[in-house]
Amino acid sequence: MLITMRYTILFLTGIFLLASLGCAQRQSATSVPDTSLEAAQGQDEEFDLLSDDFFSDAPSSVHEPVYYDPLEPMNRIFFEFNDKLYYWVLKPVNTAYSAVVPVDFRYCFGNFFTNLSAPIRLLNNLLQGKFSDAGIVLSRFLINSTLGVYGLGDPALVDFDLEPKPEDFGQTLGAWGVGEGIYLCWPILGPSNARDTLGFGVDVYSHPVVYLNDDLLVSAAYYSGNKVNLLSLNPEAYDDLKKYSLDPYVSMRQVYLDYRRNKIKDKAAKQNVVDEL
Amino acid sequence: MTAKRLFYITLCFCFFSGLSTALASLGPTEELKPTLNKIIDILADSDLSGNQHKEERREKIMTIAIQGFDFLEMAKLVLGRTWNRIDQQQKAHFEQLFTKLLENTYIGKLESYSGQEVKFQDERIKGNRAKVSTIVDNNGMAIPVNYVMLQKASSWKVYDINIEGVSLVRNFREQFKSILRKEKFDGLVKVLEEKNASFLTEESK
Repeated sequence: MLITMRYTILFLTGIFLLASLGCAQRQSATSVPDTSLEAAQGQDEEFDLLSDDFFSDAPSSVHEPVYYDPLEPMNRIFFEFNDKLYYWVLKPVNTAYSAVVPVDFRYCFGNFFTNLSAPIRLLNNLLQGKFSDAGIVLSRFLINSTLGVYGLGDPALVDFDLEPKPEDFGQTLGAWGVGEGIYLCWPILGPSNARDTLGFGVDVYSHPVVYLNDDLLVSAAYYSGNKVNLLSLNPEAYDDLKKYSLDPYVSMRQVYLDYRRNKIKDKAAKQNVVDEL
Repeated sequence: MTAKRLFYITLCFCFFSGLSTALASLGPTEELKPTLNKIIDILADSDLSGNQHKEERREKIMTIAIQGFDFLEMAKLVLGRTWNRIDQQQKAHFEQLFTKLLENTYIGKLESYSGQEVKFQDERIKGNRAKVSTIVDNNGMAIPVNYVMLQKASSWKVYDINIEGVSLVRNFREQFKSILRKEKFDGLVKVLEEKNASFLTEESK
């Protein structure tokens, strides 16, 4: 019950943020002059310098602003919080975890977590009309759940050459033409934007763990287990970001936005090819 | 007779002029390949490995990098409009600081890898710009790395590196923009100097 309420709240917050997109943009012109200047400057600079035809294959991205971050002061606080969480909790836990659990096992657990979230990818591939990819997701799930022993192995990739097809609801919304809205840095969850926050809420609902149990603790344990395991497989990513950037908050924001846009744009570009054919 | 001769002379002339232009301007991939291969060779060279050869190794890598990468263009791009507001001396100083930062961060990162293999996928050219796609195989993990290049005086040089949509230049530019807004150019220079110094103290530990 509690968990359902929690996600409902998250979901509603997402809708609220999404609904506020238009307002956020207009507001930034008046109440937050700094941000609007930023966006305006960024926009025209973006196109006389890096006006990359390569980066803007999709016509929609030409009109896409660089970013909207009117909540930057709040986001920075949460960024700091996550930073402390990383160095005080996650990193020590990860060091212990990596010392105890051999790397092969960690890959197995990673496969297990990924396999369990197959329904999310299936749903989102279907929603984006990518039926052949949806078929691959389904085949991967069936092969890995049986031959791969509950998804611990990945024989679908190794023996059947079926590449994973990651999709989430944030990407689906992007493919449908929903704008990304304001940038958000959530405590614990990390960087996101209004659209992907809504997407995350929906994905949580389509994850089997929510249906199989009603206990918030189990879900939290599942989530943190997944997070620690992921971190143990890419231990350097955040350290590098901190080490190599002059303003880690800005750097992370840019990485997140660029990465997500690229994932969604890829889709649009592929779609165009299909249309042309 | 003369007509035939003239024909052959013309033919030869066409052939050689065609050949010479082909020699003068190599394609982006042909220009990038030797640069990357030389850098990888230096990194793999056991005579140059380890911390004691670090200065020598870095120097060699940078000599090659300067030929293949357009650090001036990068410095211009990361500063954005501020580039036009500063004088020649400041420009030169900034270019030097930024080049040093790239050396510290990216070559520092490359040094931690071993046995990398770069596979060239394809290239796309539009006007005087090009994108060369490569796949870097790092211990079984394939990372798609794209090099964005600019043609100046018939030679192609890299001015941006793009990994899965994440652009190196854009990332630094956004960071610099946020620092410039608060602390202006002098503040940015100070931050850069401090960052570069932090790599020195870290290494001497």
